[in-house]
Amino acid sequence: MRWIALTIALLTAAPLAAQDRTRIVAVNHPLAYFAKRLAGDAAEVVYPVPEGRDPSFWRPGIADIAAIQQADLIVLNGAGFADWVKKASLPRSRIVDTSRGFAGEFIATDTVTHSHGADGAHSHTGTASYTWMDFSLAERQAEALSISLKRMLPEADVDPVLDALRNDLQALHDRATEIAARLEGQTLIASHPRYQYFARAYGLDIRSVSWDAGAAPDPAQIDELTGLVQDTGATIFLWEAAPPEDARTAVTETGLRDVIFPPLAVPGPSGDFVADMNAALDRLAALSG
Amino acid sequence: MRKLLIALAVVAAWPAIAHQLNVFASVDGTDVVVEAKFSSGKVPQVGEVRVYDATDALLVTLPLTGEETLRFPLDPVAAQQGLRIEVNTGEGHEDYWILTPDDIAAGQTN
Repeated sequence: MRWIALTIALLTAAPLAAQDRTRIVAVNHPLAYFAKRLAGDAAEVVYPVPEGRDPSFWRPGIADIAAIQQADLIVLNGAGFADWVKKASLPRSRIVDTSRGFAGEFIATDTVTHSHGADGAHSHTGTASYTWMDFSLAERQAEALSISLKRMLPEADVDPVLDALRNDLQALHDRATEIAARLEGQTLIASHPRYQYFARAYGLDIRSVSWDAGAAPDPAQIDELTGLVQDTGATIFLWEAAPPEDARTAVTETGLRDVIFPPLAVPGPSGDFVADMNAALDRLAALSG
Repeated sequence: MRKLLIALAVVAAWPAIAHQLNVFASVDGTDVVVEAKFSSGKVPQVGEVRVYDATDALLVTLPLTGEETLRFPLDPVAAQQGLRIEVNTGEGHEDYWILTPDDIAAGQTN
């Protein structure tokens, strides 16, 4: 009888224990990946953005925000990534802004230009937000996250995992540097402006159009691309996401060689950021001669 | 000369930086309080506030009055599930704020 009571007690306690597990919310896949590696089994890491949605522009619902407010740690990318973080009350003491330490190195962008009212034509300036595409900055983001995790999860052995993660990111940095050296003098065009930090870190000339990920460009967009190719002499086109086949044909007909090079703000095929980024670098390396 | 050009570029860019709409909402007792401002500090003179419940149903639309804050009574039923408050001042300037049930409860007891 005593064993039965004990078993029942354990079974009913299990959901409570699961609820008590430390919960970490990260605004993009790279940070969720870093958090999972660093925290290990000591925490549940949640990437709250539904599949198929762009985490840069995701607009959470009330229930999403209510759940995020309950998290033990909210991991922000900073640099203006994920606008929603400024649209609700988040508990400051449980936020880590992983790029705060290098805010002076952010890249400014012109985001929108329009004309109306007394101000006339003007643009809303912004900040390039895909900071992790400079893998040395990604390393600094992982370090910033590790400081919060060590404080929050004293039982987790964060330091050795951080060392391994830093080694992986350093290896990505070295590879990107080596591939970029082989692309010196060439202009690349990206399907979306996501590669500012990658271009700056590795000395690449990357121009951008603004095509929807996974959508076929219309004739006007192809005309714009053709003009850009003529103006810049670009040779390589970077797809942010796998394109429809006819879109790929339209791009290669302009004389560009193309490659799928996702910045992995969303999970890639394997879910392993380092592995998927290495695969993307493999594809870029194949075009670098 | 180069410094002068940089300074002129910064001045020329300033209206752009100063033009973004920012919205904040909170609960003060039995009222919802909405603040909408451009990042220049200017208060929008025209536009509308749309209030949605947790199912994305539009509860009410209110005109902006040119005042710094706009208040309206908190619907006790919607308060249980939270509110999304959108402000649109036209010509592409729009922002929103989400009030969760916890935010609302905190505002009701303050």
